[in-house]
Amino acid sequence: LKVQGTDLDYFQPKEYIIGGTTLTGASFIDKEVIITLSKLIKGETILLPSEATSTAIKTLWSQGLFDDIELNISKLTDDTVYFDIKVVERPRLSSFELNGLSKSQKTDITEKLNSKSGKTIINENTYNSTTAVIDKYLAEKGYFFTKIDYKTKPDPNMENGVVLQVFVERGRKVKVQKINFTGNKEFKAAQLRKYLKKTKQRAFYKIFGPGKYSQEKFKEDKEKLIAKMQDKGYRDAVILRDSVYRNSDKTVGIDIDIYEGPKYYVGNITWAGNAKYATKDLTKVLGIEKGDIFSEEKLGVKLHGNGAESEDVSSIYLNDGYLTFNVEPVQTKIYNDTVDLEIRIYEGPQYTNNRITVKGNTITNDRVVLRQVRTRPGDKFSKEQLIRTVRDIGQLGNFDESKTVPTPKPNPADGTVDIEYAVEEKPSDQVELSGGFGGGRVIGTIGLTFNNFSLRNILNPKAYKPLPKGDGQKLSIRGQTNAKYYQSYSFSFSEPWLGGKKPVSFGISAFTSLSSNGASAGSSNLQKIRLNGVTVSLGRMLKWPDNYFQLTHSINAQQYILNNYPGYLFTTGTSYNFNLTQEISRDSRNSPIFPTEGSFFKFTIQATPPYSLLNKVNYETASDKKRYTFTEYHKWKFEGQWFQRLAGKLVVKAQAQFGFLGSYNQAVGQSAFERFKLGGDGMQGFDFLQGSELITMRGYANNVVIPSSATTPGQINIAQQSGSPIYTKYVMELRYPVIASQQATAFIVGFAEGGNTWNKFSDYNPFNVRRSAGIGARIFLPIFGMLGIDYGIPFDKIPGVQDFGRQRFMFSIAQQLGGFN
Amino acid sequence: CKSRFEKIRLSNDVAKKYQEAIKLYNKKDYSKALILFEDLSQKYRGRTEAEDLNYYYAYTLFRLKDYTTARYQFKYFADTYPTSKNAEECRYMGAYCYYLDSPEYTLDQENTYKAIDALQLFINLYPKSERVAQASQYITDLRAKLELKAYTNARLYYDLGGYDISNYKSSVISLKNAEIDFPDIKYAEEMDLLIIKSQYAYAKNSFPYRQEDRYTEAIGYANEFIENHPESKYLEEAKTLKTECENGIASAKELMTLEANQIAKYKAMVEKDNSKDTSANIKNKTPNP
Repeated sequence: LKVQGTDLDYFQPKEYIIGGTTLTGASFIDKEVIITLSKLIKGETILLPSEATSTAIKTLWSQGLFDDIELNISKLTDDTVYFDIKVVERPRLSSFELNGLSKSQKTDITEKLNSKSGKTIINENTYNSTTAVIDKYLAEKGYFFTKIDYKTKPDPNMENGVVLQVFVERGRKVKVQKINFTGNKEFKAAQLRKYLKKTKQRAFYKIFGPGKYSQEKFKEDKEKLIAKMQDKGYRDAVILRDSVYRNSDKTVGIDIDIYEGPKYYVGNITWAGNAKYATKDLTKVLGIEKGDIFSEEKLGVKLHGNGAESEDVSSIYLNDGYLTFNVEPVQTKIYNDTVDLEIRIYEGPQYTNNRITVKGNTITNDRVVLRQVRTRPGDKFSKEQLIRTVRDIGQLGNFDESKTVPTPKPNPADGTVDIEYAVEEKPSDQVELSGGFGGGRVIGTIGLTFNNFSLRNILNPKAYKPLPKGDGQKLSIRGQTNAKYYQSYSFSFSEPWLGGKKPVSFGISAFTSLSSNGASAGSSNLQKIRLNGVTVSLGRMLKWPDNYFQLTHSINAQQYILNNYPGYLFTTGTSYNFNLTQEISRDSRNSPIFPTEGSFFKFTIQATPPYSLLNKVNYETASDKKRYTFTEYHKWKFEGQWFQRLAGKLVVKAQAQFGFLGSYNQAVGQSAFERFKLGGDGMQGFDFLQGSELITMRGYANNVVIPSSATTPGQINIAQQSGSPIYTKYVMELRYPVIASQQATAFIVGFAEGGNTWNKFSDYNPFNVRRSAGIGARIFLPIFGMLGIDYGIPFDKIPGVQDFGRQRFMFSIAQQLGGFN
Repeated sequence: CKSRFEKIRLSNDVAKKYQEAIKLYNKKDYSKALILFEDLSQKYRGRTEAEDLNYYYAYTLFRLKDYTTARYQFKYFADTYPTSKNAEECRYMGAYCYYLDSPEYTLDQENTYKAIDALQLFINLYPKSERVAQASQYITDLRAKLELKAYTNARLYYDLGGYDISNYKSSVISLKNAEIDFPDIKYAEEMDLLIIKSQYAYAKNSFPYRQEDRYTEAIGYANEFIENHPESKYLEEAKTLKTECENGIASAKELMTLEANQIAKYKAMVEKDNSKDTSANIKNKTPNP
């Protein structure tokens, strides 16, 4: 505040009435508004000197309309003050125009700059900050020697507005010609170069990978280089000097001078501050002994843990309520090449969970999330339970897994901890809408899956947004038809907590499907099969042997109506199938879409009543009608999947499957239905009927992996049409994620499979399998579910089927998670 | 051939655009009006007309039920033009938008808390406004929603008790916490009764040697209930629960005595059997030095 001709006493502020305010220097802007904004309004009282004047300048400054603002007192009498605001008005920046960049670069940079356009003026600062943004962006992309020029032109659409034209000369991308190391004795230069993960020398064979030089990445790499050397015991390792110099227009060279120092070993380890656990036990957990190479990284992992289920000192305490536990290794003595350690522990109080809250659930109801929570009020705090809860919330499928964040808030005063689970909803509904061409006919499919349905609100019109949601129920409907040849409709509903009080899931589903050769009804040529079925199931989470187990019971009723239809053991007649299914499974996979750890096991027994043992029909001589009216069988299935992180993001999946369909009575023979069809994409294709089970096998066409004992055309036909009673399949898969975001998860796979089918248990040989190998890719899109494409090479010909059963390319869609069997 | 609206939208005649936007607003064609208002709001910055424009702009968003953006615009108006005749209305409307954005009690209540804050700010700024009564009513509604949420979520643990006994323990804690968070919660009677029920169920399903302490705690809660809610319709139920707790203690004690007797009897029997070579037995039992 400049006072002309008057001294304001800063120690004695005085109240004045504002006699008037004038604005000078403005030509485009409405003066009254500026004065109003300054709040120096005629007639108001003001304390001088006070914050009011600086606030006025700040308010005007924040408008971003002026290059300079001065506030002067033009006249000061005993009780009245007159202000003059002097501003320097500059043209306003209306937009940017970028030249000399690629389209994607323009888009990226415009995004970074956009917050400014329309809101600021053009001055020296605008140029500098724009240059900084562009320089930084291009440097990240590997352009180091850029030139930027500016021009301006008036914007016809905006009074006093100016378009800023930016001319960029990118130059060429810079690569690293050579990285030189000096001062290294124990480490070879090649090894050190390897530690620089993102800064690599140029080489003719490096087609992919980061050839470009990036300043930021080099900085990170240097830190990693030292960390790696320290990890090998060289705790004194340091970069003495490093320089990046320009070789030519497109390459730079890097010199790094390092000091290795001696290699250190662990000396005596002592513990301090541990009361809860004995030194002996902690030493065992630590697993580092006198004489080991001294590695801070290993020490860190053993003390603080790394990942979800690691065995480390911190986890022992954190799983037992010691939330504020802290451990610090102190290097007490260093002599020659030996480091003595004292591990200082602060145990703190044992915390009890108190308030458990959920935040961010804008669609899903509280109780759906809260009943998954394992850290309940009154329990001791446990990190393990916290992590398990995050997994279980992820398992619901309604939230973005990476954004489920638990926040414990300890209250040291009373030894309790409040835990807040922050979640973020993600779209979980799936739509399938397709018109396809299959078997020479056009076929239309519509399928809808709602993963967060609310049945109880179905009559509440307010809840429709666009459907009643939030109770974690699942509703799915699907229809597929091409008019008279093929129709299939199915419906299913499931509720994970029946009655809301126990984790007992309830499911009901029904389907009807029809397939025919299209001949008109009543025609003697008509070949037709119709299947109808209903299933009701109840499932329960178990607490024993551990809480990953689930037990499911279900009752199924199915009806098969055949009318002159080939490929089954009988051609005309009606057959009924009533069965009970018991399934026990254990699922400890850490993610439903891309698991990196854990396993999944499932054992299923399905059985019909043994009619033939109860009625007095002589099956040796009975007619087809009698023989097949009531389907009877018992079916045993096992599946196991293991996931393990190999290195970095690379995950290995191992899988084994086995299925056996047995009969009660030799005379009845094996059931015509509920058999296994092996091979292909496993999709509900045009010829899909629910009278059999489809098992995928890549490299081979749909349903072609038939028993080697099937040699006659009739046997081959039956094996392909209705399936085989025994199968085994093994899969080894390497998976690598390429996209992991809320919008999509994508990964590439390399696979090897082996599988086969048999007609009789006496033929069964688990090692006699048909093999294939190949590569593929999967993408999970929240609305469409999992989509996949595979290229597989079959190694074993299958005689008797078209093309020896080969099918190299395969495309697949799985609506439900856990598809792709 | 472009429509009249398109022509105006693309023209640079701001005054005409402004008039057209107001006309569209009055004709209740809010989505078209919005397009013009959005465009104009940048261009009118720092001009007298900006005040009215912002007022219309906020209302257009409100009519389009975009309460999230509307409340921001209303707040912007109230902050920018505090002396305007419409400032009070906009301050109120901003808070009202939050109120409308407050979701079902079973969902995240972030907007409910913000609505209460915004409504309270309005009452503090304009204590004499005729809108204060309505604002207070809204605050009461929102508080009731939060109370219902606290009650329902605490009760959840009681409902889950049948599946895992320790949920009853969690139920007592969470119900008490809800009463601390909302001291005059209207479900106090139900909650106090649920505390007794939870503690009773917890005690009843515990091991006999733990039952006495846990029943005693339940009796304590029952006594508190009888004292605090002498007129309650649940009084009889509380008294019955108290009696059942007392019976529970008695039978637990009985069971413990019985068990103790059995153990004593068994020990006596074992001792009697081994009395012949006691010395050998003792030797076996002493740990090695």
